[in-house]
Amino acid sequence: MILADVFSFLPILLKAAIVTIEVTVGSLLLSTLLGLVLAIMKVSPTQLLSVPASVFINVIRGLPIIVQLFYIYFVLPGMGIQLTAFQAGIIGLGIAYSAYQAENFRAGIQAIDPGQIEAAKSIGMKGPLIMRRVILPQAIRITLPPYGNTTVMMLKDSSLVSTITVAEMTRAGQLLAASTFENMTVYTLVALLYLALSLPLIFGVNRLEKHFGQGNRRRDK
Amino acid sequence: MIAINNIHKSFGDVAVLRGVSLDVASGEVVCLIGPSGSGKSTVLRCINGLETYDHGDILINDARVDTQQADIHALRTRVGMVFQRFNLFPHRSVIENVMEGPVYVKHEPRQQARAMAEELLDKVGLNDKYDAYPNQLSGGQQQRVAIARALAMRPDAMLFDEPTSALDPELVGDVLTVMRTLAEEGMTMVVVTHEMSFAREVADRVCFLHGGTIVEEGPAKQVLSQPHHERTQDFLRRVLNH
Ligand SMILES: Nc1ncnc2c1ncn2[C@@H]1O[C@H](COP(=O)(O)OP(=O)(O)OP(=O)(O)O)[C@@H](O)[C@H]1O
Ligand SMILES: [Mg+2]
Repeated sequence: MILADVFSFLPILLKAAIVTIEVTVGSLLLSTLLGLVLAIMKVSPTQLLSVPASVFINVIRGLPIIVQLFYIYFVLPGMGIQLTAFQAGIIGLGIAYSAYQAENFRAGIQAIDPGQIEAAKSIGMKGPLIMRRVILPQAIRITLPPYGNTTVMMLKDSSLVSTITVAEMTRAGQLLAASTFENMTVYTLVALLYLALSLPLIFGVNRLEKHFGQGNRRRDK
Repeated sequence: MIAINNIHKSFGDVAVLRGVSLDVASGEVVCLIGPSGSGKSTVLRCINGLETYDHGDILINDARVDTQQADIHALRTRVGMVFQRFNLFPHRSVIENVMEGPVYVKHEPRQQARAMAEELLDKVGLNDKYDAYPNQLSGGQQQRVAIARALAMRPDAMLFDEPTSALDPELVGDVLTVMRTLAEEGMTMVVVTHEMSFAREVADRVCFLHGGTIVEEGPAKQVLSQPHHERTQDFLRRVLNH
């Protein structure tokens, strides 16, 4: 590793790191929203809602993320839907992960003591209000640690959008390495930058798990 | 006030209620006693529509309890329920638990709801716990918050399902005191309990439930002291002697 190389590569990779962060945050938002909707649909007593949600979740979980990305980037334009690589990356990753987010949220919702729902009903609350005021606030606490883990996985899987030419860190690394042949320097830097992003997240998740693991739960006799 | 008319209820093949009838007049306190599995909780849960029933009618102030009807939510606000395991909202403070119904169901202004919540918490002896969270309270304190939460809806009647049986013995008294005060103030109450001394002192009427029917009912002192039915005698001998 030559220091001069490091200093010439680093600005390029840092710029690409911003794209990595953008893709991660964008698809995190999309997957959270979509995942929440899917989870609420899936636990609904109405089959009209729960069945389509289940089907969607299973289909998405059954497909490799790369195939989903290729489909959105290469097939949709043929149907008249034009997306930039960046947009396709966020939408593809967001949809792919919405299935996992939905499962996280569903598990959180179903972990709520049924007595909570009965207590809410007994003071006259209706379904949507119970969801908003009683179930979701508690489910979110339960879901936070797995949500953090999913975020770490999304950060790493954002490298998959390099396959549809999004200029994020992995792709920038590939291009740099191909043009300079400094594989060792380039990929070490790429790896270190990923760690710089993921390790703080992982520590955060660990702290969350500790925080929610002990105490802070209802003391049931 | 509450009229239960020959209700039947099965879970699958198991008939749990086989023709229960019970009228509770306004201001009356009725205790339901009976062995485990006799259907006491099921009766209470049918009254405020947490459970459906198969035949018969339950009327609250002449409105039929029917979980399929849109007015079920409004009906539930007329009848407060206190659960064995308290079921407080763990993510909200004591005062927020009590304000939840008035603010989000009745859409009362927060200030007004808060004032009433403070009044109710003072009444159940928790004037120093407004901002505590349920997990910081003893079981007895939690149950009193649960009572205040139900009362905050200004119900016409209160249902209690073994409100003291999840409590350490030394905490039972405080909860019973609150319930006794409510009864004296004229609250209509249906109480499932194993506290025979409470039933004897406070109840106007005691119903003994066995195998999904009311086997014996009458004035508290008579049913508890001179039960006619053999099953009641057996049951009372067992609970009083253990
Ligand atoms: N959701 C349910 N599904 C199936 N069976 C049920 C259900 N709820 C209650 N049961 C059955 O109905 C019967 C009556 O139950 P219930 O809870 O009303 O009894 P209980 O008199 O309150 O008893 P306990 O003193 O133990 O609380 C029991 O045999 C119980 O197993
Ligand atoms: Mg019971």
